[in-house]
Amino acid sequence: MLALELDAVTKRYGSRRALDAVCVSLPRGSALGLLGPNGAGKSTVLRLALGLARPSAGHVRLRGLDPGDPVARTGVGYLPERLALPGRMSVRAFVRLHGRLAGWRGLELTRQVEAVCERTGIADRADDRMAGLSKGLAQRVGFAQALFGDPELLLLDEPTSGLDPLGVRDAREWIRAARSRGCSVLVSSHVLSEVERTCDRVVILDRGRIAASGRLEDVVRRGERLEDAFVRWVRG
Amino acid sequence: MGARVTRSAFYAYRTLAVEAILDAVRRRIVMAIAVVTLLALWLVRGCAACTGGSYRVDGQLVDPGRIAGFTGVALYALLALWTMTLAGLLASDHLSQSLHDGSAPLTLARPVGRGTYALARLSGSLAVALVAGGVLLTATAGLLHARHALPLGPAFAGAAVCAWGALLVAALAMSASLVLPRLATFLCVLGFVGFVTGVNLAARAGAPLSGVSGLVDRFGPPLGSALLEALGPWIGRTPSHGPVPGLSPRLVLWAVASVILLVAAFRRVEIRS
Repeated sequence: MLALELDAVTKRYGSRRALDAVCVSLPRGSALGLLGPNGAGKSTVLRLALGLARPSAGHVRLRGLDPGDPVARTGVGYLPERLALPGRMSVRAFVRLHGRLAGWRGLELTRQVEAVCERTGIADRADDRMAGLSKGLAQRVGFAQALFGDPELLLLDEPTSGLDPLGVRDAREWIRAARSRGCSVLVSSHVLSEVERTCDRVVILDRGRIAASGRLEDVVRRGERLEDAFVRWVRG
Repeated sequence: MGARVTRSAFYAYRTLAVEAILDAVRRRIVMAIAVVTLLALWLVRGCAACTGGSYRVDGQLVDPGRIAGFTGVALYALLALWTMTLAGLLASDHLSQSLHDGSAPLTLARPVGRGTYALARLSGSLAVALVAGGVLLTATAGLLHARHALPLGPAFAGAAVCAWGALLVAALAMSASLVLPRLATFLCVLGFVGFVTGVNLAARAGAPLSGVSGLVDRFGPPLGSALLEALGPWIGRTPSHGPVPGLSPRLVLWAVASVILLVAAFRRVEIRS
């Protein structure tokens, strides 16, 4: 079964087509990089995948189900590009809240909260209020809630945004570790080098249409960098 | 994940409702509500004592108990309507704000239903309004009972009407806030409560109503008339009989329909942030 499938999906906002007959499939256990210039429709793909928006035409299946069905979103970790952290809450309370929303409870919830805070390097700031966190730390908190409970599918929108080089390296490791235990990953990013290092397949979107898709070696010519391939596919 | 993970919608609702209440309590407007509530309590204390002496209407001596009854109905109904309006005011951005600040998408990416989320946000705004209203109505009923021996039964029925009315107004305000800006939603709340109550009072006073006003009085949410019905025994009227004496089934139906409307409307919302 596919972790995520968009089948001939078109999404219109008024008269503007954000996506036009887009087909994306993410097999279980694989990592897909979603690339494209600003306004290409990458975030729309993620919104459709999570049931936050509905396609104007075509079908979206998340773990084989309609993403509007809450059951489809069980075991899904999501890191949005614009992370909204409630300043009044402590880091630990926020991660705990998302653990509860994911359905965890009791001692196992507490154990998972401590484990994920430790893994993402925020354990020593776990009691701090989030209002005072730097952008990099906030992004780590975002990763902590997304990675909570070892999800089966990770949807990451610009995951390295705001992270320092050490944070970028950590993020890469978290994604790799998730993949090594069978997690499917969809990464939407402008940082092509990160996609190259963490994903085995890419989809390049341009003005709502797929410009290229497939395994990295199918999209990138021998000796070519992903950045050059990206420019070639987008500029034609 | 297995047995450690629950898919209970109630568990998610409870978690989100607690957060929604904490969000509502931390809003700056809550301080203003607390001040207004204290001020209202002080006024109630004064008004509940202002029926001493004898009164004559057209030369006839009026029973002071009847004066106390009318004062009690006016005071209690006014505070109940204030509570309903407050519920609408608090609900007019409690859900829409979470859509704009990005907290809703992060929550709805979890296995949380749209209905569960909307109901939790509704509970948050309603809780604050009902606590403020509850303090006022309890104090008013207590003072009227202690000073004028007005029975507490109508006060309980009036409080139930107030709670259902607050639910109705809050759910409608939250639904409207999905398509209207906050100020416009709040003005709609004021207009709605004012118009419906005005029509109900005019009809009870015997004014001939036709057109929209007549339809609103006969079939619309009976915010004013349900309150007058519940508090009727204070002015010598017999309450209607039903599952809860004095509580209008039409009001309950309207409240339930408003909540269903809110859930249905929120399920259709496209979240773009």
